[in-house]
Amino acid sequence: MLNVTRLVTWAALGAAFVLAPGPGYGQSAALTPFDKLPDWTGLWMMMGGTVFDTATQTGKGGAVTPGVREHPPYTEVYEKKYEEHLAKRDANRFPDVITNCGVPVGYPRILNLPDAYEFMVRPEEFYIITENGPNTMRVYTDGRPLPKKEDTWGTYTGVSVGHWEGDTLVWETTGLKGDRDNDSILDRTGLILSDAAHITTRMRKINDNTLQAVLTIEDSKALTKPWVVTKQFRKQKPGLFMYDYGCAENNRNPVDTSTGETLVLGSDGKPVR
Amino acid sequence: MKSLRVVLFAVLVAVPVLAHHSGAGFGEETKVITGTVKQFQFLNPHSWIQVEVTDKTGKVVEWSLEWGSPNQLGRQGIRPSTFPEGAKATFKIRPVKTGAPVAAFQAARFDDGHIVGKWEGGAPAE
Repeated sequence: MLNVTRLVTWAALGAAFVLAPGPGYGQSAALTPFDKLPDWTGLWMMMGGTVFDTATQTGKGGAVTPGVREHPPYTEVYEKKYEEHLAKRDANRFPDVITNCGVPVGYPRILNLPDAYEFMVRPEEFYIITENGPNTMRVYTDGRPLPKKEDTWGTYTGVSVGHWEGDTLVWETTGLKGDRDNDSILDRTGLILSDAAHITTRMRKINDNTLQAVLTIEDSKALTKPWVVTKQFRKQKPGLFMYDYGCAENNRNPVDTSTGETLVLGSDGKPVR
Repeated sequence: MKSLRVVLFAVLVAVPVLAHHSGAGFGEETKVITGTVKQFQFLNPHSWIQVEVTDKTGKVVEWSLEWGSPNQLGRQGIRPSTFPEGAKATFKIRPVKTGAPVAAFQAARFDDGHIVGKWEGGAPAE
């Protein structure tokens, strides 16, 4: 005989257990409130070319005057590697690692792309969303510390934590794979960093329509001193849409892995020579 | 006509960047070709305009003209219908250094006179 009273009691206890609030996952009171954060909404486009060092571009368009170059202060070992990349690039034998689609561009290259950007500001986290790729970067602003070196294993975008200093977001990035696997570069000239890179980024609006990121890049293996680069982004007119970016949708520039040559496929899918 | 002017203005103020792969393959010299649109691939990562050009010997050569991502071009007013199949036009392009019929698209002037892209300065006719 079913004891209805007992059944109801157990059901009520079960419901109370399921519906009870969990232990301590609420929002920290130390977070910057949403209404105190700057407005970085809308679509943005990077200003300037998709290179960190315009001086390394051959032909027209690159400053070559010594002293005004953004050329990284490379160590001897990394300068040699970079010169090798440039020579291959000039011979069309240095494929851009994103040409075959499928790997993130990583940091700091995520700030070095064409097409549209969204910068999403929230109290606990900041997101960079790029149409090109597509790529996503996360910066945790919830007060957590940067992981210890031994707790990272090297990824394209690394790990980042940050905080707000007024209207400036300051974040540190570590845990980058750098050139360890030869599949992460900073631009198509073949700029690289090592897995020891540590980047401090300061980002803020310098006027209503311009966001600026100043990156101080330290790298005990690749650089002889901190390398400071700046990237700016211009706000686009309101109402525009972001779209998906199927990198593999119609990729007519695959790489011949036997030679490193970036091919051009014709409309019939065969290489055009 | 108003919408056309909007398209032309938008394209003039923002030339898309071809950054998916190395740009080292394109030369610095511009060239002008005249032909018929075979296909406009308005697809990522880059748009491609396929143009059939008849050379001096009567042979038809298919050119592949690379342009920006449809996302970026679409925000500037370009549509899949911008290059209708069968349309005749003159194209200002920047060919690859190898001599292959591949080039970066710069501008097109259609038979009815309207221009898409940035057509400025001179270029040697083919």
